[in-house]
Amino acid sequence: MVAQDLHAAPPLPPRPLHSLLIPIPMVCFLGTLATDLAYWGTAEMMWADASAWLLAVGLLFGLLAVITMIIDALGRRLSSMRGPVWLYSICNALILVLSFFNALVHSRDAWTSVVPTGLILSSVVVVLLLLSGWIRRALIYRRGPGAER
Amino acid sequence: MKISVSKLTAPSSLAALICGTIFILSGCSQSEEDPKDQVGPNPTLPAQTQYLLPPMHVAKVIGWQNGDKPKVAEGLQIKAFATGLKHPRSVYVLPNGDVLAVESVAPPAASIKRPKDLIMGWIESMATSAGNNEGSNRITLLRDADGDGVAETKSVFLDHLASPFGVALVGSDLYVAETDKIMRYPYKTGETSIPDPGTKLTDLPGGPIDHHWTKSLVASPDGSLLYVGVGSNSNITENGIQAEMGRASIWEVDRGTGRHRIFADGLRNPNGLSWEPQTHALWAVVNERDELGPNLVPDYMTSVKEGGFYGWPYSYFGKNIDPRVMPQRPDLVAKAIVPDYALSSHVAPLGMVFYTGTSLPEAYRGGAFVGEHGSWNRHQFNGYKVVFVPFADGRPKGLPQDVVTGFLNGDNEARGRPVGLAVDKPGALLIADDVGNTVWRVSSAAP
Repeated sequence: MVAQDLHAAPPLPPRPLHSLLIPIPMVCFLGTLATDLAYWGTAEMMWADASAWLLAVGLLFGLLAVITMIIDALGRRLSSMRGPVWLYSICNALILVLSFFNALVHSRDAWTSVVPTGLILSSVVVVLLLLSGWIRRALIYRRGPGAER
Repeated sequence: MKISVSKLTAPSSLAALICGTIFILSGCSQSEEDPKDQVGPNPTLPAQTQYLLPPMHVAKVIGWQNGDKPKVAEGLQIKAFATGLKHPRSVYVLPNGDVLAVESVAPPAASIKRPKDLIMGWIESMATSAGNNEGSNRITLLRDADGDGVAETKSVFLDHLASPFGVALVGSDLYVAETDKIMRYPYKTGETSIPDPGTKLTDLPGGPIDHHWTKSLVASPDGSLLYVGVGSNSNITENGIQAEMGRASIWEVDRGTGRHRIFADGLRNPNGLSWEPQTHALWAVVNERDELGPNLVPDYMTSVKEGGFYGWPYSYFGKNIDPRVMPQRPDLVAKAIVPDYALSSHVAPLGMVFYTGTSLPEAYRGGAFVGEHGSWNRHQFNGYKVVFVPFADGRPKGLPQDVVTGFLNGDNEARGRPVGLAVDKPGALLIADDVGNTVWRVSSAAP
Protein backbone atom coordinates (compact mmCIF):
# COMPACT_ATOMS: atom_id res chain seq x y z
CA MET A 1 0.00 0.00 0.00
CA VAL A 2 1.00 3.53 -0.57
CA ALA A 3 -1.08 5.15 2.19
CA GLN A 4 1.71 4.66 4.76
CA ASP A 5 4.17 6.43 2.54
CA LEU A 6 1.86 9.36 2.25
CA HIS A 7 1.83 9.80 6.02
CA ALA A 8 5.57 9.40 6.46
CA ALA A 9 7.51 12.58 7.27
CA PRO A 10 9.83 13.65 4.51
CA PRO A 11 13.41 12.56 5.30
CA LEU A 12 15.30 15.20 7.34
CA PRO A 13 18.81 16.05 6.23
CA PRO A 14 21.34 15.40 8.99
CA ARG A 15 21.85 18.25 11.47
CA PRO A 16 25.03 20.26 10.98
CA LEU A 17 27.79 19.04 13.32
CA HIS A 18 29.18 22.49 13.91
CA SER A 19 26.01 23.50 15.71
CA LEU A 20 27.27 21.48 18.68
CA LEU A 21 30.49 23.50 18.98
CA ILE A 22 29.39 26.99 18.05
CA PRO A 23 27.90 27.86 21.46
CA ILE A 24 31.31 27.45 23.17
CA PRO A 25 33.18 30.25 21.37
CA MET A 26 30.00 32.32 21.54
CA VAL A 27 29.88 32.11 25.31
CA CYS A 28 33.65 32.62 25.61
CA PHE A 29 33.69 35.76 23.47
CA LEU A 30 30.64 37.17 25.25
CA GLY A 31 32.43 36.45 28.50
CA THR A 32 35.54 38.24 27.26
CA LEU A 33 33.61 41.47 26.90
CA ALA A 34 32.23 41.04 30.41
CA THR A 35 35.63 40.42 31.99
CA ASP A 36 37.21 43.20 29.91
CA LEU A 37 34.60 45.60 31.25
CA ALA A 38 35.32 44.36 34.76
CA TYR A 39 39.06 45.01 34.26
CA TRP A 40 38.35 48.44 32.80
CA GLY A 41 36.39 49.26 35.90
CA THR A 42 38.70 47.78 38.53
CA ALA A 43 42.24 47.50 37.05
CA GLU A 44 42.27 44.14 38.85
CA MET A 45 44.56 41.77 36.90
CA MET A 46 42.32 38.79 37.65
CA TRP A 47 39.81 40.07 35.10
CA ALA A 48 42.38 40.64 32.38
CA ASP A 49 43.72 37.12 32.97
CA ALA A 50 40.17 35.76 32.75
CA SER A 51 39.72 37.52 29.39
CA ALA A 52 42.94 35.96 28.08
CA TRP A 53 41.76 32.47 29.03
CA LEU A 54 38.30 33.02 27.57
CA LEU A 55 39.85 34.15 24.30
CA ALA A 56 42.20 31.15 24.21
CA VAL A 57 39.42 28.64 24.86
CA GLY A 58 37.06 30.45 22.49
CA LEU A 59 39.64 30.36 19.71
CA LEU A 60 40.39 26.68 20.29
CA PHE A 61 36.74 25.69 20.02
CA GLY A 62 36.17 28.21 17.26
CA LEU A 63 38.86 26.45 15.27
CA LEU A 64 37.22 23.07 15.97
CA ALA A 65 33.93 24.58 14.81
CA VAL A 66 35.57 25.65 11.55
CA ILE A 67 36.87 22.12 11.04
CA THR A 68 33.43 20.60 11.66
CA MET A 69 31.90 23.21 9.36
CA ILE A 70 34.20 21.99 6.62
CA ILE A 71 33.11 18.43 7.40
CA ASP A 72 29.51 19.61 7.29
CA ALA A 73 30.10 21.17 3.92
CA LEU A 74 31.80 18.06 2.56
CA GLY A 75 29.06 15.80 3.97
CA ARG A 76 26.44 18.15 2.67
CA ARG A 77 24.99 18.62 6.09
CA LEU A 78 24.68 22.32 5.56
CA SER A 79 21.78 21.59 3.23
CA SER A 80 19.42 22.04 6.12
CA MET A 81 20.43 25.68 5.96
CA ARG A 82 18.89 27.73 3.27
CA GLY A 83 19.83 31.10 2.01
CA PRO A 84 23.01 33.14 2.28
CA VAL A 85 25.25 30.61 4.02
CA TRP A 86 28.24 32.63 2.76
CA LEU A 87 27.15 35.60 4.84
CA TYR A 88 27.04 33.38 7.90
CA SER A 89 30.51 31.98 7.12
CA ILE A 90 32.06 35.40 6.59
CA CYS A 91 30.58 36.68 9.80
CA ASN A 92 32.01 33.73 11.75
CA ALA A 93 35.37 34.03 10.03
CA LEU A 94 35.51 37.69 10.99
CA ILE A 95 34.72 36.81 14.61
CA LEU A 96 37.61 34.36 14.71
CA VAL A 97 40.10 36.66 13.00
CA LEU A 98 39.26 39.59 15.27
CA SER A 99 39.39 37.34 18.33
CA PHE A 100 42.79 36.05 17.23
CA PHE A 101 44.09 39.62 17.16
CA ASN A 102 42.30 40.25 20.42
CA ALA A 103 44.15 37.32 22.00
CA LEU A 104 47.46 38.85 20.87
CA VAL A 105 46.45 42.20 22.32
CA HIS A 106 45.48 40.44 25.54
CA SER A 107 48.94 38.87 25.73
CA ARG A 108 50.40 42.29 26.50
CA ASP A 109 51.17 43.10 30.09
CA ALA A 110 48.69 44.89 32.35
CA TRP A 111 46.52 47.89 31.36
CA THR A 112 47.11 48.07 27.60
CA SER A 113 46.32 44.37 27.26
CA VAL A 114 42.69 45.48 27.54
CA VAL A 115 42.30 49.25 27.35
CA PRO A 116 41.50 50.47 24.80
CA THR A 117 42.26 48.08 21.88
CA GLY A 118 41.23 44.84 23.57
CA LEU A 119 38.00 46.30 24.85
CA ILE A 120 37.11 47.67 21.39
CA LEU A 121 37.83 44.32 19.71
CA SER A 122 35.80 42.43 22.32
CA SER A 123 32.86 44.77 21.75
CA VAL A 124 33.00 44.47 17.95
CA VAL A 125 33.14 40.68 18.27
CA VAL A 126 30.03 40.66 20.45
CA VAL A 127 28.14 42.73 17.85
CA LEU A 128 29.24 40.25 15.18
CA LEU A 129 28.18 37.35 17.41
CA LEU A 130 24.68 38.77 17.66
CA LEU A 131 24.63 39.26 13.91
CA SER A 132 25.87 35.72 13.29
CA GLY A 133 23.29 34.26 15.65
CA TRP A 134 20.55 36.17 13.94
CA ILE A 135 21.65 35.03 10.47
CA ARG A 136 21.92 31.43 11.66
CA ARG A 137 18.45 31.50 13.10
CA ALA A 138 17.13 32.97 9.89
CA LEU A 139 18.87 30.32 7.81
CA ILE A 140 17.75 27.31 9.86
CA TYR A 141 14.17 28.32 10.37
CA ARG A 142 13.68 29.37 6.80
CA ARG A 143 10.91 27.50 5.06
CA GLY A 144 12.09 24.91 2.67
CA PRO A 145 12.36 21.17 2.21
CA GLY A 146 13.96 19.57 5.20
CA ALA A 147 13.13 22.39 7.53
CA GLU A 148 10.01 22.80 9.59
CA ARG A 149 6.72 22.84 7.80
CA MET B 1 23.30 19.97 -4.13
CA LYS B 2 23.49 23.59 -3.28
CA ILE B 3 26.73 23.54 -1.37
CA SER B 4 29.31 24.70 -3.76
CA VAL B 5 33.04 25.06 -3.49
CA SER B 6 32.71 28.76 -2.84
CA LYS B 7 31.16 27.99 0.51
CA LEU B 8 34.20 26.05 1.51
CA THR B 9 36.48 28.97 0.98
CA ALA B 10 35.45 30.91 4.04
CA PRO B 11 37.03 28.57 6.59
CA SER B 12 40.05 27.73 4.49
CA SER B 13 40.77 31.33 3.62
CA LEU B 14 40.48 32.05 7.31
CA ALA B 15 43.23 29.55 7.98
CA ALA B 16 45.36 31.12 5.30
CA LEU B 17 44.72 34.55 6.75
CA ILE B 18 45.77 33.44 10.24
CA CYS B 19 48.95 31.84 8.94
CA GLY B 20 49.75 34.93 6.91
CA THR B 21 49.10 37.13 9.89
CA ILE B 22 51.52 35.21 12.07
CA PHE B 23 54.12 35.53 9.34
CA ILE B 24 53.61 39.26 9.01
CA LEU B 25 53.52 39.86 12.76
CA SER B 26 56.72 38.02 13.43
CA GLY B 27 58.54 39.57 10.53
CA CYS B 28 57.46 43.17 10.67
CA SER B 29 59.56 44.57 13.49
CA GLN B 30 62.96 43.61 12.11
CA SER B 31 64.21 47.13 11.66
CA GLU B 32 65.98 47.74 14.91
CA GLU B 33 68.11 50.83 14.96
CA ASP B 34 71.67 50.61 16.09
CA PRO B 35 71.55 50.74 19.89
CA LYS B 36 74.88 52.59 20.05
CA ASP B 37 73.18 55.88 20.85
CA GLN B 38 71.57 54.14 23.80
CA VAL B 39 74.55 54.26 26.10
CA GLY B 40 75.67 57.02 28.42
CA PRO B 41 73.81 59.61 30.45
CA ASN B 42 71.40 60.72 27.68
CA PRO B 43 70.20 57.68 25.74
CA THR B 44 67.87 58.09 22.76
CA LEU B 45 64.42 56.95 23.78
CA PRO B 46 62.32 56.06 20.71
CA ALA B 47 58.50 55.99 20.66
CA GLN B 48 56.88 53.07 22.42
CA THR B 49 55.76 49.97 20.52
CA GLN B 50 52.74 48.04 21.74
CA TYR B 51 53.39 44.63 20.28
CA LEU B 52 50.87 42.17 18.94
CA LEU B 53 53.61 39.58 19.08
CA PRO B 54 56.69 40.66 21.07
CA PRO B 55 60.04 39.41 19.79
CA MET B 56 61.06 36.36 21.82
CA HIS B 57 64.52 35.52 20.67
CA VAL B 58 66.87 33.71 23.00
CA ALA B 59 70.21 32.36 21.87
CA LYS B 60 70.22 28.58 21.76
CA VAL B 61 72.66 27.21 24.32
CA ILE B 62 75.39 24.92 22.99
CA GLY B 63 78.06 25.37 25.69
CA TRP B 64 81.85 25.64 25.27
CA GLN B 65 83.30 23.02 22.99
CA ASN B 66 86.84 21.93 22.10
CA GLY B 67 88.55 24.34 24.48
CA ASP B 68 86.77 27.39 23.05
CA LYS B 69 86.96 30.47 25.22
CA PRO B 70 85.71 34.04 25.17
CA LYS B 71 87.68 36.76 23.38
CA VAL B 72 89.26 39.51 25.44
CA ALA B 73 90.36 43.06 24.71
CA GLU B 74 93.97 43.84 23.89
CA GLY B 75 96.39 43.56 26.78
CA LEU B 76 94.32 40.89 28.49
CA GLN B 77 94.19 37.12 28.57
CA ILE B 78 91.44 34.74 29.68
CA LYS B 79 91.50 31.29 31.22
CA ALA B 80 88.88 29.00 32.67
CA PHE B 81 89.36 29.31 36.43
CA ALA B 82 86.94 26.45 37.05
CA THR B 83 84.69 24.37 34.80
CA GLY B 84 82.00 21.76 35.30
CA LEU B 85 80.01 23.93 37.68
CA LYS B 86 76.22 23.83 37.98
CA HIS B 87 74.83 27.12 36.63
CA PRO B 88 77.15 29.56 38.46
CA ARG B 89 75.41 32.94 38.80
CA SER B 90 77.81 34.91 40.96
CA VAL B 91 81.33 34.87 42.38
CA TYR B 92 82.71 36.17 45.66
CA VAL B 93 86.33 36.40 46.76
CA LEU B 94 87.25 35.64 50.37
CA PRO B 95 90.13 37.54 52.06
CA ASN B 96 92.49 34.56 51.80
CA GLY B 97 91.97 34.41 48.02
CA ASP B 98 89.51 31.51 47.95
CA VAL B 99 86.70 32.04 45.47
CA LEU B 100 83.08 31.20 46.15
CA ALA B 101 81.08 30.24 43.06
CA VAL B 102 77.39 30.65 43.80
CA GLU B 103 75.59 28.04 41.74
CA SER B 104 71.93 28.81 41.51
CA VAL B 105 68.83 28.10 39.49
CA ALA B 106 65.48 29.90 39.46
CA PRO B 107 63.00 28.90 42.16
CA PRO B 108 60.02 26.75 41.11
CA ALA B 109 57.79 28.65 38.72
CA ALA B 110 54.61 30.19 40.05
CA SER B 111 51.28 28.74 38.98
CA ILE B 112 50.21 29.56 35.43
CA LYS B 113 48.11 32.71 35.53
CA ARG B 114 47.34 33.22 31.86
CA PRO B 115 48.01 31.54 28.50
CA LYS B 116 51.10 33.74 27.98
CA ASP B 117 52.79 32.14 31.02
CA LEU B 118 52.75 28.79 29.23
CA ILE B 119 54.51 30.23 26.18
CA MET B 120 56.98 32.32 28.17
CA GLY B 121 57.89 29.33 30.34
CA TRP B 122 58.74 27.37 27.25
CA ILE B 123 60.86 30.20 25.78
CA GLU B 124 62.74 30.66 29.04
CA SER B 125 63.50 26.97 29.31
CA MET B 126 65.50 27.36 26.09
CA ALA B 127 67.65 30.07 27.65
CA THR B 128 68.89 28.05 30.59
CA SER B 129 71.86 25.80 30.71
CA ALA B 130 72.32 23.06 28.17
CA GLY B 131 73.52 20.77 30.92
CA ASN B 132 71.68 19.17 33.77
CA ASN B 133 71.35 21.62 36.63
CA GLU B 134 70.48 19.09 39.28
CA GLY B 135 72.69 19.64 42.31
CA SER B 136 72.78 23.39 41.80
CA ASN B 137 71.63 25.83 44.53
CA ARG B 138 74.84 25.49 46.43
CA ILE B 139 78.10 27.38 46.88
CA THR B 140 81.34 25.80 45.73
CA LEU B 141 84.69 26.93 47.10
CA LEU B 142 87.42 27.17 44.46
CA ARG B 143 91.05 27.37 45.54
CA ASP B 144 94.03 28.22 43.37
CA ALA B 145 96.86 27.45 45.79
CA ASP B 146 99.71 27.55 43.29
CA GLY B 147 98.59 30.84 41.77
CA ASP B 148 98.53 29.67 38.14
CA GLY B 149 95.08 31.15 37.57
CA VAL B 150 93.29 27.81 37.61
CA ALA B 151 91.57 26.39 40.69
CA GLU B 152 92.96 23.00 41.64
CA THR B 153 90.47 22.20 44.36
CA LYS B 154 86.73 22.45 44.32
CA SER B 155 84.72 21.77 47.47
CA VAL B 156 81.08 22.07 48.36
CA PHE B 157 81.06 25.02 50.73
CA LEU B 158 77.32 25.29 51.42
CA ASP B 159 74.64 23.07 49.97
CA HIS B 160 70.84 22.85 49.63
CA LEU B 161 70.26 26.59 49.43
CA ALA B 162 67.17 28.34 48.05
CA SER B 163 68.33 30.02 44.82
CA PRO B 164 71.27 31.88 46.43
CA PHE B 165 72.94 34.86 44.74
CA GLY B 166 74.58 37.48 46.96
CA VAL B 167 77.38 36.78 49.45
CA ALA B 168 79.03 39.18 51.90
CA LEU B 169 81.61 38.52 54.57
CA VAL B 170 81.81 40.85 57.58
CA GLY B 171 84.47 39.80 60.06
CA SER B 172 83.77 36.12 60.62
CA ASP B 173 80.08 36.37 59.68
CA LEU B 174 79.30 35.13 56.21
CA TYR B 175 75.97 36.33 54.83
CA VAL B 176 74.25 34.53 51.99
CA ALA B 177 71.25 36.10 50.27
CA GLU B 178 68.98 33.30 49.19
CA THR B 179 65.92 34.27 47.20
CA ASP B 180 63.66 34.28 50.26
CA LYS B 181 66.00 35.13 53.17
CA ILE B 182 69.42 36.24 54.35
CA MET B 183 71.34 33.56 56.24
CA ARG B 184 74.36 34.09 58.48
CA TYR B 185 77.07 31.45 58.83
CA PRO B 186 80.22 31.44 60.99
CA TYR B 187 83.29 31.40 58.74
CA LYS B 188 86.86 30.57 59.71
CA THR B 189 89.65 31.56 57.36
CA GLY B 190 90.77 28.64 55.25
CA GLU B 191 87.62 26.57 55.71
CA THR B 192 86.51 24.69 52.63
CA SER B 193 83.02 23.93 53.88
CA ILE B 194 80.71 25.24 56.56
CA PRO B 195 79.01 22.53 58.62
CA ASP B 196 76.95 25.02 60.67
CA PRO B 197 73.28 25.15 59.61
CA GLY B 198 73.34 28.94 59.89
CA THR B 199 70.95 31.48 61.37
CA LYS B 200 68.29 33.43 59.53
CA LEU B 201 68.87 37.18 59.70
CA THR B 202 65.70 38.23 57.89
CA ASP B 203 63.14 37.07 55.36
CA LEU B 204 63.21 38.52 51.86
CA PRO B 205 60.32 38.65 49.36
CA GLY B 206 60.33 35.19 47.75
CA GLY B 207 57.57 32.95 46.37
CA PRO B 208 54.98 31.87 45.47
CA ILE B 209 55.50 34.34 42.63
CA ASP B 210 59.23 35.09 42.47
CA HIS B 211 59.77 36.69 39.09
CA HIS B 212 63.13 38.44 39.60
CA TRP B 213 64.72 36.15 42.13
CA THR B 214 68.41 37.13 42.32
CA LYS B 215 69.15 38.92 45.59
CA SER B 216 72.34 40.91 45.25
CA LEU B 217 74.11 41.64 48.55
CA VAL B 218 76.77 44.04 49.80
CA ALA B 219 77.83 45.15 53.29
CA SER B 220 78.34 48.79 54.19
CA PRO B 221 82.02 49.78 54.45
CA ASP B 222 81.78 49.84 58.27
CA GLY B 223 80.06 46.46 58.26
CA SER B 224 77.00 47.51 60.26
CA LEU B 225 74.44 47.37 57.44
CA LEU B 226 73.66 45.09 54.54
CA TYR B 227 72.19 46.26 51.24
CA VAL B 228 70.05 43.82 49.29
CA GLY B 229 68.70 44.14 45.76
CA VAL B 230 65.10 42.92 45.59
CA GLY B 231 63.80 42.71 42.01
CA SER B 232 60.21 43.30 40.91
CA ASN B 233 57.71 40.47 40.74
CA SER B 234 56.68 41.08 37.13
CA ASN B 235 57.65 42.81 33.93
CA ILE B 236 55.25 45.67 34.48
CA THR B 237 52.76 44.86 37.29
CA GLU B 238 50.96 42.13 35.32
CA ASN B 239 50.93 39.97 38.44
CA GLY B 240 49.02 42.65 40.28
CA ILE B 241 50.42 45.53 42.31
CA GLN B 242 49.89 43.47 45.49
CA ALA B 243 52.68 41.13 44.36
CA GLU B 244 55.15 44.04 44.43
CA MET B 245 55.19 44.67 48.18
CA GLY B 246 58.78 45.41 49.23
CA ARG B 247 60.06 44.71 45.73
CA ALA B 248 61.78 46.68 42.96
CA SER B 249 63.90 48.20 45.68
CA ILE B 250 67.14 48.08 47.59
CA TRP B 251 66.71 47.08 51.20
CA GLU B 252 68.95 48.28 53.99
CA VAL B 253 69.17 45.57 56.64
CA ASP B 254 70.58 46.05 60.12
CA ARG B 255 73.18 43.35 60.52
CA GLY B 256 72.61 42.99 64.24
CA THR B 257 68.84 42.84 64.45
CA GLY B 258 67.68 41.98 60.94
CA ARG B 259 65.38 45.01 60.86
CA HIS B 260 65.09 46.51 57.43
CA ARG B 261 63.88 49.56 55.59
CA ILE B 262 63.57 50.45 51.92
CA PHE B 263 66.75 52.36 51.05
CA ALA B 264 65.64 53.24 47.50
CA ASP B 265 62.92 51.98 45.17
CA GLY B 266 61.53 52.10 41.66
CA LEU B 267 64.49 49.92 40.62
CA ARG B 268 62.98 47.11 38.55
CA ASN B 269 65.73 44.54 39.03
CA PRO B 270 68.80 45.90 40.80
CA ASN B 271 71.95 43.77 40.86
CA GLY B 272 75.69 44.11 41.21
CA LEU B 273 75.46 46.33 44.28
CA SER B 274 78.91 47.87 44.86
CA TRP B 275 80.62 50.89 46.37
CA GLU B 276 82.17 53.39 44.01
CA PRO B 277 85.75 53.60 45.29
CA GLN B 278 86.17 57.39 45.13
CA THR B 279 82.85 58.76 46.36
CA HIS B 280 81.88 55.63 48.36
CA ALA B 281 78.38 55.90 46.86
CA LEU B 282 76.28 52.77 46.41
CA TRP B 283 75.94 51.78 42.74
CA ALA B 284 73.77 49.17 41.05
CA VAL B 285 73.03 47.85 37.58
CA VAL B 286 69.31 47.67 36.82
CA ASN B 287 67.33 45.61 34.33
CA GLU B 288 64.58 47.74 32.86
CA ARG B 289 61.18 46.72 31.46
CA ASP B 290 60.43 44.71 28.31
CA GLU B 291 57.87 44.74 25.51
CA LEU B 292 57.94 48.44 24.66
CA GLY B 293 60.24 48.03 21.66
CA PRO B 294 63.70 46.74 20.71
CA ASN B 295 65.28 49.97 21.97
CA LEU B 296 63.17 50.50 25.05
CA VAL B 297 63.87 50.62 27.87
CA PRO B 298 67.65 50.97 28.25
CA ASP B 299 69.05 49.04 31.19
CA TYR B 300 71.31 51.22 33.28
CA MET B 301 73.85 51.64 36.03
CA THR B 302 73.32 54.30 38.61
CA SER B 303 74.41 55.63 41.93
CA VAL B 304 71.59 54.95 44.36
CA LYS B 305 70.44 57.83 46.48
CA GLU B 306 68.92 57.21 49.88
CA GLY B 307 65.13 57.49 49.60
CA GLY B 308 65.44 57.81 45.83
CA PHE B 309 62.67 56.67 43.47
CA TYR B 310 63.84 55.52 40.04
CA GLY B 311 60.53 55.17 38.21
CA TRP B 312 59.43 51.54 38.10
CA PRO B 313 56.67 50.76 37.38
CA TYR B 314 55.14 54.15 36.65
CA SER B 315 57.85 55.71 34.52
CA TYR B 316 61.27 55.04 33.03
CA PHE B 317 64.44 57.08 32.64
CA GLY B 318 62.93 59.85 34.67
CA LYS B 319 59.44 60.91 33.79
CA ASN B 320 58.63 58.82 30.68
CA ILE B 321 55.26 57.33 31.59
CA ASP B 322 54.54 53.66 31.03
CA PRO B 323 50.90 53.39 29.90
CA ARG B 324 50.64 49.78 31.03
CA VAL B 325 50.40 50.68 34.70
CA MET B 326 47.03 51.49 36.22
CA PRO B 327 46.33 53.31 38.43
CA GLN B 328 49.09 55.73 37.54
CA ARG B 329 50.95 57.76 40.14
CA PRO B 330 51.84 61.24 38.87
CA ASP B 331 53.00 62.13 42.38
CA LEU B 332 55.71 59.47 42.23
CA VAL B 333 56.58 60.15 38.58
CA ALA B 334 57.20 63.79 39.52
CA LYS B 335 60.05 62.77 41.79
CA ALA B 336 61.50 59.99 39.61
CA ILE B 337 65.30 60.24 39.40
CA VAL B 338 66.98 59.94 35.98
CA PRO B 339 69.56 57.14 36.24
CA ASP B 340 73.22 58.04 35.72
CA TYR B 341 74.26 55.92 32.78
CA ALA B 342 72.36 53.84 30.20
CA LEU B 343 73.81 50.51 29.06
CA SER B 344 71.51 49.96 26.02
CA SER B 345 68.19 48.11 25.91
CA HIS B 346 67.66 44.48 26.92
CA VAL B 347 71.37 43.78 27.60
CA ALA B 348 70.38 42.42 31.03
CA PRO B 349 73.23 43.56 33.28
CA LEU B 350 73.36 41.17 36.24
CA GLY B 351 76.83 41.78 37.58
CA MET B 352 79.05 44.78 38.30
CA VAL B 353 82.36 45.30 40.01
CA PHE B 354 84.56 48.38 40.40
CA TYR B 355 88.16 47.68 39.62
CA THR B 356 90.30 48.52 42.63
CA GLY B 357 93.08 46.07 41.87
CA THR B 358 96.41 46.96 40.28
CA SER B 359 97.37 43.99 38.10
CA LEU B 360 95.15 44.79 35.09
CA PRO B 361 96.27 47.56 32.69
CA GLU B 362 96.17 51.09 34.07
CA ALA B 363 93.11 52.07 32.00
CA TYR B 364 90.83 49.79 34.02
CA ARG B 365 91.59 51.28 37.41
CA GLY B 366 88.68 52.93 39.12
CA GLY B 367 86.14 52.02 36.44
CA ALA B 368 83.42 49.40 36.50
CA PHE B 369 83.06 46.07 34.74
CA VAL B 370 79.49 45.07 33.88
CA GLY B 371 78.32 41.53 33.05
CA GLU B 372 75.58 41.64 30.41
CA HIS B 373 73.64 38.40 30.40
CA GLY B 374 72.05 39.19 27.02
CA SER B 375 68.71 40.01 25.41
CA TRP B 376 65.58 38.02 24.63
CA ASN B 377 63.13 40.79 23.71
CA ARG B 378 64.68 41.96 20.43
CA HIS B 379 65.54 40.24 17.16
CA GLN B 380 69.17 41.28 17.11
CA PHE B 381 71.01 40.11 20.18
CA ASN B 382 72.31 42.77 22.52
CA GLY B 383 74.61 42.20 25.47
CA TYR B 384 76.07 38.70 25.89
CA LYS B 385 79.39 40.29 26.91
CA VAL B 386 81.34 42.00 29.66
CA VAL B 387 81.88 45.72 29.18
CA PHE B 388 84.03 48.25 30.98
CA VAL B 389 82.74 51.71 31.88
CA PRO B 390 85.55 54.18 32.64
CA PHE B 391 85.04 56.45 35.65
CA ALA B 392 86.54 59.81 36.58
CA ASP B 393 85.83 61.63 39.83
CA GLY B 394 83.27 59.04 40.80
CA ARG B 395 81.18 59.43 37.61
CA PRO B 396 81.16 57.38 34.40
CA LYS B 397 83.22 59.04 31.73
CA GLY B 398 83.12 57.92 28.10
CA LEU B 399 81.54 55.01 26.28
CA PRO B 400 81.46 51.42 27.51
CA GLN B 401 84.20 49.26 25.99
CA ASP B 402 83.83 45.59 25.13
CA VAL B 403 86.21 43.66 27.36
CA VAL B 404 85.07 40.06 27.10
CA THR B 405 83.07 38.90 24.05
CA GLY B 406 82.58 35.70 22.09
CA PHE B 407 79.89 34.30 24.34
CA LEU B 408 77.85 33.98 21.14
CA ASN B 409 79.43 32.09 18.27
CA GLY B 410 79.17 33.06 14.59
CA ASP B 411 75.78 31.37 14.31
CA ASN B 412 74.44 33.32 17.28
CA GLU B 413 74.40 30.26 19.50
CA ALA B 414 75.28 30.82 23.15
CA ARG B 415 78.45 29.14 24.29
CA GLY B 416 78.07 30.95 27.58
CA ARG B 417 76.39 33.95 29.19
CA PRO B 418 78.16 36.22 31.69
CA VAL B 419 76.46 37.03 34.99
CA GLY B 420 78.17 38.00 38.27
CA LEU B 421 81.65 39.51 38.46
CA ALA B 422 84.36 39.83 41.10
CA VAL B 423 88.01 40.81 41.35
CA ASP B 424 90.23 38.15 42.90
CA LYS B 425 93.09 38.65 45.32
CA PRO B 426 95.81 39.02 42.67
CA GLY B 427 93.58 41.57 40.89
CA ALA B 428 92.16 39.54 38.00
CA LEU B 429 88.53 39.77 36.90
CA LEU B 430 86.37 36.72 37.59
CA ILE B 431 83.22 36.08 35.54
CA ALA B 432 80.45 33.64 36.44
CA ASP B 433 79.17 32.09 33.19
CA ASP B 434 75.89 30.39 34.03
CA VAL B 435 75.03 28.49 30.86
CA GLY B 436 78.71 27.80 30.14
CA ASN B 437 79.02 26.35 33.69
CA THR B 438 82.41 28.04 34.00
CA VAL B 439 84.15 30.72 36.04
CA TRP B 440 86.45 32.71 33.74
CA ARG B 441 89.50 34.61 34.90
CA VAL B 442 90.71 37.66 32.98
CA SER B 443 94.23 38.86 33.75
CA SER B 444 96.87 40.99 32.09
CA ALA B 445 98.41 39.42 29.01
CA ALA B 446 101.93 38.18 29.63
CA PRO B 447 104.32 40.91 28.44
